[in-house]
Amino acid sequence: MVHTEIIGGETLEMHPWGVLYWKARGMLLLSDLHLGKVTHFRKYGAAVPLEALQRNFNRLRHLTDIYRPERICFLGDLFHSHMNREWELFEAWVKTCAARLDLVVGNHDIIDPVRFEALGISCRDQWEIGPFKLTHHPAESEDRFNISGHIHPAVRLAGAGRQRLRLPVFYLRQRQLILPAFGAFTGTHVVSPEPGERLYALAGETVLPLDALDARLSRR
Amino acid sequence: MKPRTPKYSEWTDQAQAWFQSQGWKPFPFQEETWEAFMEGKHGLLNAPTGSGKTYALWFPILLNYMRAHPDYATKHRKGLKAIWITPLRALSQEIRQSAERILEDLQIPFEVGIRTGDTSTAERNRQRKTMPDLLITTPESLQLLLATKGYAKLFRECSAVVVDEWHELLGSKRGVQMELALSRLKSVCPNLRIWGISATIGNLEQAREVLLGPASEALENSVMIRAHVPKRITVKSLLPEQMDTFPWRGHLGLHMLEAIIPILEQSKTTLIFTNTRGQCEIWFQQLLERHPELAGEIAMHHGSIDKETRLWVEQAIRNESLKAVVCTSSLDLGVDFAPVETVIQIGGPKGVARFLQRAGRSGHRPGRESVIYFLPTHAIELVEAAALQQAVKLQAVEDRTPYLNSFDVLVQYLTTLAVSDGFYPEDIYREVSQTFCYQAMSREQWEWLLNFLVLGSQSLQSYDEYKKVEVAEDGRLQVTNRGVAMRHRFQIGTIVGDAQLTVKYQKGGYIGTIEEYFISQLKAGDVFTFAGRNLEFLRIRDMVALVRHSPKKAGKTPSWMGGRLTLSSEMSRILREELYSAAMPLGQQAVEIRALQPLFERQRLESIVPGPDQFLLETFRTREGYHYIFYPFEGRFVHEAMASLLSYRISLLTPITFSLAYNDYGFELLSDQELDVQMVLDNNLFSPKYLLDDLQKSLNATEMARRKFRDIAVISGLVFTGYPNKGVKMKHLQSNSQLLFEVFRDYEPDNLLFRQAFTETFEHQLEEGRLRLALERIEEQEIVWRACEKPTPFSFPIITDRLREKLSSEKLADRIRRMTRILTGGGR
Repeated sequence: MVHTEIIGGETLEMHPWGVLYWKARGMLLLSDLHLGKVTHFRKYGAAVPLEALQRNFNRLRHLTDIYRPERICFLGDLFHSHMNREWELFEAWVKTCAARLDLVVGNHDIIDPVRFEALGISCRDQWEIGPFKLTHHPAESEDRFNISGHIHPAVRLAGAGRQRLRLPVFYLRQRQLILPAFGAFTGTHVVSPEPGERLYALAGETVLPLDALDARLSRR
Repeated sequence: MKPRTPKYSEWTDQAQAWFQSQGWKPFPFQEETWEAFMEGKHGLLNAPTGSGKTYALWFPILLNYMRAHPDYATKHRKGLKAIWITPLRALSQEIRQSAERILEDLQIPFEVGIRTGDTSTAERNRQRKTMPDLLITTPESLQLLLATKGYAKLFRECSAVVVDEWHELLGSKRGVQMELALSRLKSVCPNLRIWGISATIGNLEQAREVLLGPASEALENSVMIRAHVPKRITVKSLLPEQMDTFPWRGHLGLHMLEAIIPILEQSKTTLIFTNTRGQCEIWFQQLLERHPELAGEIAMHHGSIDKETRLWVEQAIRNESLKAVVCTSSLDLGVDFAPVETVIQIGGPKGVARFLQRAGRSGHRPGRESVIYFLPTHAIELVEAAALQQAVKLQAVEDRTPYLNSFDVLVQYLTTLAVSDGFYPEDIYREVSQTFCYQAMSREQWEWLLNFLVLGSQSLQSYDEYKKVEVAEDGRLQVTNRGVAMRHRFQIGTIVGDAQLTVKYQKGGYIGTIEEYFISQLKAGDVFTFAGRNLEFLRIRDMVALVRHSPKKAGKTPSWMGGRLTLSSEMSRILREELYSAAMPLGQQAVEIRALQPLFERQRLESIVPGPDQFLLETFRTREGYHYIFYPFEGRFVHEAMASLLSYRISLLTPITFSLAYNDYGFELLSDQELDVQMVLDNNLFSPKYLLDDLQKSLNATEMARRKFRDIAVISGLVFTGYPNKGVKMKHLQSNSQLLFEVFRDYEPDNLLFRQAFTETFEHQLEEGRLRLALERIEEQEIVWRACEKPTPFSFPIITDRLREKLSSEKLADRIRRMTRILTGGGR
């Protein structure tokens, strides 16, 4: 189940896999896929299950099936490391994908942009489009609303009966929205929201706004 | 005792003469060991610390060499003759000294070498070129030797391996490492004798079997020698003067601090044993604060303090220049401290064997009485004090359960062999399947492991780039990649435990090592107590925590996760009996139980002190939620399993979320929702029926297996911990074992290493057998349910425990909706 918010005057859909859909432009936004990470580990002798790398591609295929997007924009850290053979799987997916692909380059993206461009993916350091400024690292902008990734935001929740939960979130700040990491086999970073900021938790099949909790921030 | 065979007296007489020259007389167990070794036997020597066990084995090793090489004094043949394994590198100096004393007096031109994590690279390289004649080392360092090219040549002339403190290794994965190394050495060294030395444990016969291999020739040709050094042990409980002010919970015991001062004054040297390093730090600080006159007369000793300081403390104990040392299990083993007159144990030692061993630290001369004082840290621990008295009388020592099918250690070992000379699977299979740990390993499991090493999984994918072990043309499995080999060698040393950081002054100067977990809770500027000093945390750089002295008071003392041990079944039984004695006339009770009368009265206000036929369940509500507390008195591990099982069975009846806590007396299910207790009672949820199945499912529901998986992932090389102290960053290869756990759960649930996390929790920790017996006992008991207004004295230590497990059968979204707070600050 998706959650819809109007941000920067535009309708944005938050999908429980940590993806943002910008309806008006037919654009899917996703961040921090870290493709190639599983293969990178395996190359160095750590036998992370090979199947795990398929999740990214399976989910990408599923998303393009349901949204039929015109564009897909990756907000950085698309590829985890140096070139490895997971690139071939990525290439194969790109060839079957009907949408235009854009990459806002992140700190992990050390692969030569020429290779991305060869696949028809345009690379940018940042992208000002409509009311938004798309970046990898969260950024400030005077006139635009910033959408970014990089920090893999998560929240820690507590309740009665000593209950604790930790969940990835969409992190909405003053003029900024930070996307959770899309990639399988990536970690999370717990954020400490300030009053007025909002969190949307990825809760399995649904995205849950944590509005009711915002007023009850507590330091541990 | 066996009749003495005069066969080798020509040789053993030299040892006799040496003893005489020292003014000593050998114990019968020493003579027996000399004879047995000379006869070519393997064996297990059951002897306590400080009984002269090193002389029992160094002598025959040397005498046997002299016999085989009559020209030993003039013609020195280079190379390794014997290996002495010690679990603690701190003990190696002591062992070397005893060897060198004999060598000198018998005029044997042998060199004794030490090879541990502390050994310099230069020294290591020198050793690799020319092995010392006698080598003292640890299980990890021995494993590392097996990772050197041409290791077989290094070991060929080795005639003896002695595994010291075998009981310490037995119930651990380092013990498995030892089993594997021995299985290799048996093939590599044609004339090998294997000997273990163990303190008294419940399963000594099994300890011998594990050491030598079940159904092995070595076991057939072996002996068990028991030292029978008489030892009188007196246990004295320190009772609080006023029971009303004695706390119901806590583990520090500081309110009783004054009680030990007269004891310190009366004794030459006292060892004060604490259960954790954190507790050790606090006691040391507090003693100094409240009794400044002790400054310079007391010291502290634990595993995180740097080696120099530790050695200094040990030497100071021998010189009688210290009045008292506050310590942890770091002083449990080895090192003979003759001047120690008194031992104080703070808090439950959670093990009779350990308690006896600590008691044995005092009156360290044969025939002298050992006195140990027990200082309870909270009220109910007095029951444990009474039980300990009984247990010591009955010598009710616990078993050390050896591991079975530890695939992680086997993966590590096979990689080790592949890194050095490579191996032929069939040869190694034959050796490995004869060890205790892998006796039941199936052919399929073995094939799976080989596949895992070579392919990184069970099937070949064209786009895969997995690289570790390769198959050579002749079928030999080997590692050719230097990076893989290097990373593996680094990883061998880190068999278990949390990631360690070095603590250093900003201006240089090593202070010790500390768990990463603790440091991760600190912010720059925080002040904490470590190694008896107040330190300000500055920052972390390359696995080093930089600090500086601080005049400020410490806010935090490192708390270590250690010390979460459990009671043995025998000890649990004794404990229950002591508790049942609460109902007996005062005259028939132990003093500790009598002292607890005020607490029992409080307990009886709203609840009961259960008798042998009663199983108590208390329920009450606090600000935290609804508490359901059960009291089986079966020890922590059984309670862990029972809590898991029961909460799982309840969660099938109704969607609910529990937080679980346990101690040695009982367990708690805590929920934010009220539970229908009658439903729990009516559904017969304590039934031992379908136990296995339900327990396994409950493990999937809780997170217990995750914790086990962490070690498994590190040992098997799935997680790379980096190079502590080497300053080498490997950040791009570090991953979180939790993340990895989830990836395996979702994509490779049949992976043997992943499965192992569950079987280990199940078999090694949860003790399914004991659980079944406990459930059968409960079936015979009357369940007494008391709905209370507020927490009872019995419940207090449990409900305040912070280390918790959770289990839920609710939808995630439903749980999130009932959450009340967002936690901020504090890393993970």
